[in-house]
Amino acid sequence: MRNRLGMFLLAGIAAVPLSSALPAQTTQRPGPAKPATASAPAPEHDLSGVWNMHSTPAQRKYTGNTYTAEPPEMTPWGSQAYTANKPSNGPRTHSLKETDDPVLKQCLPPGTPRIYLQPFPFQIVQIPKEILMFYEYDHTVRQIFMDGRAHPSDATPTYMGHSIGKWEGDTLVVDTVGFNDKTWLDRDGHPHSDQLHVTERFHRLDRDTLQIDITMEDPKALAKPWKTQLNFQLKPDWDIMELACTDNGAFEDFEK
Amino acid sequence: MGVLRQKYREISRIEGIGDNVKNNRVIFLAIFIMLLTLGPVAFAHHGNANYDTSKSITVKGVVTGFEFINPHVLIHWDAKDDSGTAQKWQGELTSPNRLTRVGWTKSSIKPSDTISISGYPAKSGSNEIWIQKVVLGSGEELPMGGGN
Repeated sequence: MRNRLGMFLLAGIAAVPLSSALPAQTTQRPGPAKPATASAPAPEHDLSGVWNMHSTPAQRKYTGNTYTAEPPEMTPWGSQAYTANKPSNGPRTHSLKETDDPVLKQCLPPGTPRIYLQPFPFQIVQIPKEILMFYEYDHTVRQIFMDGRAHPSDATPTYMGHSIGKWEGDTLVVDTVGFNDKTWLDRDGHPHSDQLHVTERFHRLDRDTLQIDITMEDPKALAKPWKTQLNFQLKPDWDIMELACTDNGAFEDFEK
Repeated sequence: MGVLRQKYREISRIEGIGDNVKNNRVIFLAIFIMLLTLGPVAFAHHGNANYDTSKSITVKGVVTGFEFINPHVLIHWDAKDDSGTAQKWQGELTSPNRLTRVGWTKSSIKPSDTISISGYPAKSGSNEIWIQKVVLGSGEELPMGGGN
């Protein structure tokens, strides 16, 4: 344990001159956070494994609660709802008693793509008909149908939405609609409506690095599409563990 | 009562609050470097509204309880304040899942262990800490973080 901590501290100290020597990085689109050692090539059309978010220092300033350093352009309805929402995470932090975050207060599923901002890994499982995304946070599961079907015209509104996917070259493109409007887009309280449309492009840069480009469109809440890129690292030695949201309620009484 | 007071004096000697300035400086420097480079060890599920993240305090004492539970791991311990009065303290860490991945188990801390805990104090002034550092009586520092 001590050795690990020592390496942790050394890595932290080493990061100081590195981050201050590269100020331009904070203003550019964040690149993939590649591991220090060379990785093997990515297998073809295979995203299987346990993935954990791996943010660059620039991304780390916001990925605990939202998708981009700059706020999205919202509609008047979106701005009003955002101002009214009382998040617990991020700069507008409220205590567990005060927050109205639907995930924290009601244990609602986080929704897509907010599930990625819950700070726990997820596992991708591929079977012929579909790709399963098994998120550690509250054992949330998404099915990405790969059998060529279209979205149902009258999809029942759900938290995680209805997802269909296809391969474009080495990129998995997932299209998701059919949302309800009970959740937030992120942990900072940005709202969405039932017209939310999410596009995710999964690109495995090498064996150990997964890049997800996400576009959120919602004519009721967002004035322009909100785009981000999140980076994930393969964790071959990790298993998905249990994490039950229902335990959260006890903590309202813990903090005084 | 006298027996209790004697017991707390013994605890106080183990705690040694403030009597090793040099060591405290080293601890402070280590925490400062960690905060500077990596930011605070994140909570798993909620924000930091209850804590003053501009300050870091260290409280030493004897563990009375260790709860390796979701969503946040809890440590309870007894310590003495400046006037020698016994105080009950509690602190929260991140989730058991994240701590498991850096080597913790439900037996990493046991009741009656002496312990030194550093972190952000509660804004309310109650004896609560958002824990950023744990050092056992053996001198072993438990790893923090947990994956991200």
